[in-house]
Amino acid sequence: MKRSLCYLYAAAFLFILPAAGYAVDYSVDATTILRLEKLDIPGAGKDTLLPATQFLGVDVEKLADGNLSLHFYGWERVDLSDNSYNNSKADGSLTYGYLQYRFKQANADVRAGRFFVHEGIVSEQVDGISVRSDLPLGFGLSAFGGATVHTEHLYGESSDGKGDSIFGGRANYRYKGVLELGVSGVYESNVPILINYANGNRRLVGGDIWFSPHKMIEIMGRSSYNAETSEVAEHNYLLNIKPTPQLVVSGQFSEQNDRSFQYSWAMFSGAALNPDFKSRATGINASYEINSYVGLAVDYKHYRREIGNADRYGADARFHFLNNTLRSGIGYHYLQAGSGFAIGSNPSASYHELRGYVLHDTKSYFAAADAIGFLFKDKVQNENSAWEGIFSLGYHITPALALSGDISYGRNPEFTEETKGLVRLTYNMTFDGKGGKK
Amino acid sequence: MKCLQAMLPFLLLAVLTVILAACAQMKAIPNLPASHPEALAAGQQVNCTECHADPQKGTMKEMTAFNHSPSFVKNHSFYAATDDRLCSTCHKRSFCNDCHTNKVEMKPSTRYGYRPDREMPHRGNFMTMHKIEGKLDPASCYRCHGRANNERCVACHR
Repeated sequence: MKRSLCYLYAAAFLFILPAAGYAVDYSVDATTILRLEKLDIPGAGKDTLLPATQFLGVDVEKLADGNLSLHFYGWERVDLSDNSYNNSKADGSLTYGYLQYRFKQANADVRAGRFFVHEGIVSEQVDGISVRSDLPLGFGLSAFGGATVHTEHLYGESSDGKGDSIFGGRANYRYKGVLELGVSGVYESNVPILINYANGNRRLVGGDIWFSPHKMIEIMGRSSYNAETSEVAEHNYLLNIKPTPQLVVSGQFSEQNDRSFQYSWAMFSGAALNPDFKSRATGINASYEINSYVGLAVDYKHYRREIGNADRYGADARFHFLNNTLRSGIGYHYLQAGSGFAIGSNPSASYHELRGYVLHDTKSYFAAADAIGFLFKDKVQNENSAWEGIFSLGYHITPALALSGDISYGRNPEFTEETKGLVRLTYNMTFDGKGGKK
Repeated sequence: MKCLQAMLPFLLLAVLTVILAACAQMKAIPNLPASHPEALAAGQQVNCTECHADPQKGTMKEMTAFNHSPSFVKNHSFYAATDDRLCSTCHKRSFCNDCHTNKVEMKPSTRYGYRPDREMPHRGNFMTMHKIEGKLDPASCYRCHGRANNERCVACHR
């Protein structure tokens, strides 16, 4: 994997260097992060970690006849001191890397390589090919297929529990600006048999809807059906009401049949979950932009599971000043939850969450301070709270190149004390004549 | 069965005719622009309707649907599942992968410590908090860690 990543990095650079001489648009996002962490773990002593991580993203557009593009993103980490993560001194991952041909009409495109698919009920990462296009009369079609992108092997197994190939797609119909209906599905090849876990095939079909009878009202959502368990896996729906451009009131309902929804989650033996267990959440939230400087939001959510009920409610405020270069926010939430959700044998899982941040980004320097605290109703591992404060300071060496550093300190039940430092070099450059993406 | 076999050439011809007719009409279906004509400021809660009054041609939906209100940001998965091509006119693919990825060792909020204004998961000491949140809403864990991002999970969940 590491060797293939090196090849891909090299290939990406070989690709963009000659591209620089032609009329192509290309952008490079590179972030180098050197972290320093000192951990004091009760019973396990102190650790000093010094991992260096390189993130690299490249987008090359307007290749060939102008409609072909290349997109690549990955990262690589090397430990300069003790092992920072699991047992390897170095690791990396290709997040995506694909060629895309975008047709001149009907939003049609073809992708080949490693990419993410988000279509209706489908959310997958695939090494393969995808095609999609709008069709006449408001119809649309998309399809994908290829090899599954595997993850870490499960403990004591030689597999992550996923099948080796996957395909699926979505058909949709749009009626003016009022209605969109979609039907989608995903089919994964047979999953491997595991020794220690119950495993299940990922084979889902479902539908999605977006309905806006008036521009102030939106109803959207999706339902999925697990063909393996012959049962509905999930309903997830959202209602947005926008009486004014500044005010948005939303209501949400979601319900999962735990076994059917988590059927292919081998790590937690999803296929062996009690078929009668359900998780349900209903919530409401409202946000209001008082003016261009201040925005407020309040929210409430009720959770219902076999192990008990819980409620979470709170509010956030956001502030924007100095032409948006000074931004800050404060928030408070309270979770009221019983012993079923608690850590260990605690009688309650309730906690207060407090957060505040401020950042200032100028053409020369940028600085940010962020603090978050969780105050437990009942002590967790003899600690009343878990909190963390981060301070970040950086300097724009050029508009594209910035050097910054973070330092954070926290106390929590996991680590008596947690001190972390980080140095970051970022390079974000877009070479094109117009527009831009962020 | 024989009747079906006899009709097969006609059915294929009909399908071909429909495909050709559809392709002929494809040229009339508008494309979304490849990118937004103006660079957009970072850190702004984008209000599309400040400039766009008409329904978005490529999606046929009112632009008000895509205003980046706090509700939109929290529930963006609904929009991305149907209109990610509109997202990609303003956002690079890597913008999504700041949080949505297959394997990463660093929390997004650590990588972007200088951007506390961005909505990012697992801020603070989530190692402790996941013991509560995981029981509260396991579906939200599954969405990101069920099919990917399991390295940290397998270290303890055995």
